Amino acid sequence: MLIGAIPIAAISIVGWSVLVLFLLALAFALGLTIASIKLRVEQDPRIDQVEQALPGANCGGCGMAGCAAFAKAVVLGKAPVTGCPVGGPSCGERIAAIMGVSFEMKVKTRPVLHCVAGSASRKLRAPYHGSLRCSEANLIPGVQGCAYGCLGLGDCIEVCKFGALRMEDGLPIFDYAKCTSCGACVTACPRGLIELIPFKNEQMLVVGCSSRDPGKVVRQVCDAGCLGCGACARKSDVFAANGNLACIDYTKYTDVDSLKEAFAKCPAKALVVFGPTGRIPVKDVYAKPSDTEADRTEEAATPA
Amino acid sequence: MTAELIFIFLTAAIINNFVFKYFLGICPFLGVSRRVDMAVGMGFAVTFVMTVAGVLTWIVYDLVLTRIGLEFLQYITFILIIAGAVQLVEMYIRKFFPSLYESFGIFLPMITTNCAILGACLFIQKFEYGFVQTLVFSIGAGLGFALAITIMAGIREELDFADVPKPFRGPGITLLTAAILAMAFSGFLIKR
Repeated sequence: MLIGAIPIAAISIVGWSVLVLFLLALAFALGLTIASIKLRVEQDPRIDQVEQALPGANCGGCGMAGCAAFAKAVVLGKAPVTGCPVGGPSCGERIAAIMGVSFEMKVKTRPVLHCVAGSASRKLRAPYHGSLRCSEANLIPGVQGCAYGCLGLGDCIEVCKFGALRMEDGLPIFDYAKCTSCGACVTACPRGLIELIPFKNEQMLVVGCSSRDPGKVVRQVCDAGCLGCGACARKSDVFAANGNLACIDYTKYTDVDSLKEAFAKCPAKALVVFGPTGRIPVKDVYAKPSDTEADRTEEAATPA
Repeated sequence: MTAELIFIFLTAAIINNFVFKYFLGICPFLGVSRRVDMAVGMGFAVTFVMTVAGVLTWIVYDLVLTRIGLEFLQYITFILIIAGAVQLVEMYIRKFFPSLYESFGIFLPMITTNCAILGACLFIQKFEYGFVQTLVFSIGAGLGFALAITIMAGIREELDFADVPKPFRGPGITLLTAAILAMAFSGFLIKR
């Protein structure tokens, strides 16, 4: 044998190890290179280009198995060029350029919280000293007055991988600059208060309540909840009041200003505007800078 | 000689079935056993990779590593060989069986980390098989895996229509099925 002929002692064991591994790696590198040329599959070159333009995190946020699967679906026309929720508009633009289609800004969905009751507005039945996780606290019927509202214990904050949530006054605040709309907080909330809605504008009007209790019960447990009176629905068909709760049809929704009248009719303070940095009090959106807080309802009622 | 080879083959395929006796390769066994056609494909992909890897590792280990006293390198070289072999198989399947390639998805690259393959390579060294025995053992072990995963897929296809109690649904009933299957296969064990 050739190998047997070489005096083993001449090379140290480390040298042999390095040599053997190097030769093996070289053999495989050569073999695989040749195979990749011989077995090359002619595929649309755009698939590779699109894949290059993607973030490459293989997160599955688009609903496909990974970035490669998404790239293929885009080229086959089975997925929109803007389908990558992580890459955002810039990624969509690059893909659109590769695909040679015009890039239309897809409306980005962002999470909003359907509860506006800060710690001051929430009425407790009894002091709560139990588990400090929403998922566990939610199992206790009397954890707080409202059986629908935010518990403020921050399961959503814990689950956010991007640090886009923080707790303020017992309610999570979204930082949309960091948010990737991955939806982790949506599933984390045991009360289902977080929803991804299409942000057609920078500021979106949201029903800040999820209580399906009758108005009287809501009043007993909360200062801010929706009573389900339907006043907003009578003013604008964007609203609907089903099951003691107002809801907004975002397919009909245009912008915040068009809903001023409906907002003015709301006897509760259950409507809220979400902007780039999170929740904005509606008075700051509708009222002019000179308006005082006291007459905001009147101001909002008069068209601008 | 022939009797010995048949014995090695049957032992590797049925009696010491990799899935049911050694609990190797459970990941693809549970992951790709939803449909029979995919399971058959996976089984034969594993068989192919196992045969290639078994033979290659035997050559490298017995003809190179043992001659220069580098037996301790067996894990790193085996993993290198398996990874290379899987790459080759992936390219081959992609070229000639695109639909199979599609249905494998992530599981084909995962053969790289399939412990059944590494297990087979290490068993070959442990039993000190010769070249022909290595070949037979690898094919047998791979076909045993294919048999196991195909049976499992057949049962799971039927399970889709079964009224499974709620707590057992999903992974629960799958693992229970695997356990009962493994018990059935233990009937092949010869008591002396």
